[in-house]
Amino acid sequence: MIRFGIISYAHPHAIRYAETIVNNPKAKLYAISGDGANSDVAKREAQRFTVKGSIVRFYENYEQLLKDKKVDAVYIAIETYRHKEVAIRAAEEGKHILLEKPIALNLKDAEEIIKTAKKNDVKLMVPFNPRFTTPLMKAKEMIERGEIGKLEYINAISEYVKPPIFLEGLDLSWFLDSKKSGGGGFMDTAPHGIDSLLWLVKSEPKKVYADIGSKIYGFPVDDIGTAVLEFKNGVIAVLSAGWGNPKGYSYNLELKYYLVGKEGFLDVRTVYPDFTVYQDRAEKIYWERVDVENIVKSFVNSIIYDKDPPITGEDAKKNLAIILAAYESSKTGKVIKLSL
Amino acid sequence: MAERKLRVGVIGCGNIFNLAHRNALKKLENIKVVAFMDIKVEKAKQAAKEFNASYYRNLDEFLDLDLDVVEILTPTYTHADLAIKALKSGKHVIVEKPIALTSEEAERMIKTAEKEDLKLFVGHVRRFDKRWMQIKEILKKRNILPMHIKKSEVQRLPFPETYWYWKNNKSGGVAIDLGVHVTDFLRWYFESEPVEVFALGKMIKKEAIANNTYDHFVMMIKFNGGKTGIAEVSWAYPYPARYGVFYHHLDIIGKNGRIRYTPMDTPVVGVAKRHFEMPRFSPLLSTFPDAFERELRHFIECISRNKEPVVTAHDAKIALEIAEKALESAKRGEAVRMEVRE
Repeated sequence: MIRFGIISYAHPHAIRYAETIVNNPKAKLYAISGDGANSDVAKREAQRFTVKGSIVRFYENYEQLLKDKKVDAVYIAIETYRHKEVAIRAAEEGKHILLEKPIALNLKDAEEIIKTAKKNDVKLMVPFNPRFTTPLMKAKEMIERGEIGKLEYINAISEYVKPPIFLEGLDLSWFLDSKKSGGGGFMDTAPHGIDSLLWLVKSEPKKVYADIGSKIYGFPVDDIGTAVLEFKNGVIAVLSAGWGNPKGYSYNLELKYYLVGKEGFLDVRTVYPDFTVYQDRAEKIYWERVDVENIVKSFVNSIIYDKDPPITGEDAKKNLAIILAAYESSKTGKVIKLSL
Repeated sequence: MAERKLRVGVIGCGNIFNLAHRNALKKLENIKVVAFMDIKVEKAKQAAKEFNASYYRNLDEFLDLDLDVVEILTPTYTHADLAIKALKSGKHVIVEKPIALTSEEAERMIKTAEKEDLKLFVGHVRRFDKRWMQIKEILKKRNILPMHIKKSEVQRLPFPETYWYWKNNKSGGVAIDLGVHVTDFLRWYFESEPVEVFALGKMIKKEAIANNTYDHFVMMIKFNGGKTGIAEVSWAYPYPARYGVFYHHLDIIGKNGRIRYTPMDTPVVGVAKRHFEMPRFSPLLSTFPDAFERELRHFIECISRNKEPVVTAHDAKIALEIAEKALESAKRGEAVRMEVRE
């Protein structure tokens, strides 16, 4: 049984992870700390999950939580600019780490996190969702069985809605402060797309060209962007990512993949199977979201069976390197060569 | 006063004539198609028979005729020479897209038309397709300002590797042939000029490899005002050849709204028989047949009333220039700046 501490509700994913940890038979939600934004929500959630005979402890800050010897692993959902500080302390206290993406603000911080985790012999995993969904796993299986021939081209979309600053009572304003988040819509959603591209293509991009900007809403951070990637094995990918879905759009989160092989074509229209409800507007309801379940499951298993998690700190660092290269390309108008 | 019917001659009686222009020409009331020319004279003869017209193999003889308008429906590499000769013989010219194989040739065509004081129109048929006209109108009506447009035009080119489409020196390959459709589309929708182009190309099918030409080509084009166009054109999509279908996908993200189009959302009227038949109404058609009719009707009206067309030869030349810059980018492996002068 792995006892989890959740550090911070700054990232709204904390809500889904808490629920998923509670429902995992090999895990237990043991403590929550209220660092960063939304500490009131963190506290309320600790109370909500406390049921008879099973207390979810609430700590004002992560240091107290990390000092609790009963905590085996932490899920860190604090603002990105504090990832380094918190993850390093967690590693030093011997806690296994599930760290929200992006791994850090820059590659140097990412490297320090990875090193400290290694030194203290704790697991470090950064979750990217699409590869844990059923349709994309199916697509990967078909590609690897050779059903569409040699993979040649991918057009991927990772679009989320315009982020409401207050979502279900959560304060998300730090997403619009690049000193805290590292970037806007592209930083928020492109890492998912990049991870699935790396996973599907099984190669690394050698160059990237991108255009990212504050184009739609007038935010102080970028809202949408597109990157063109050329992989070492010849695959070309185009990834559009950001907050491009208007309020009236029937999907809030939309992850799509058009995969072109030499002999076949896969159209993964959504990685979250849905049905549609029509009222004042059309709304897609996902009837299956196994991604977070699979993430928590594989992280827990990597601890129990002492093996590498499916996405390591190194993978997350590589992911960040590509994202940062895309930003650099957008800023300079130059093609950025990558050596990963 | 009844206007005299414009006398039209057609050069090139191959695919695009038979698939599109033949029926469109028949529907126009203010013209009379009087002559056809093709170096494969049998094709000209066949067309002439259908229109009760004369037919020619020799260009000089054809251009000696009393024609108001010459329609050029030949492979791309022949456009410039034929258009310039027709203009110099005092004929207005309607030429299929791309305007020419190179923008240099396009420039000479435009200069000749100006000098001769004749019309030169290019068949950028997307501008006359109901889908794209409607979406463009909705953008205006609903006050949506496009900032990001991704347009795909993809198919499996059903022709053998010896066919002219596969030859860089005849068609320019997919980057030019389909490329100009999308580059013109982006300029039309953004109402803004390109400043930087980046592109990557691939050779996927054996026909492409044999001819050393891209059959899959991706362009990212930055326009003035922070607008970005992403164009994907392909002849290599692995659809079964007998379906010969063509897919457009369009995704517009803008200030104040988003518009998407995919043929997957739209119904098809197909015919089930022992053998497959092309759908009678299908969003999978590259162009609806009425678009060609609307295009020609518009061009003919612009000629007879001396009006400016909705898409000019200059627009067609810029569309080609963007595609050329994209090819240059793909070759050099870096982004290429460009500047459009009025």
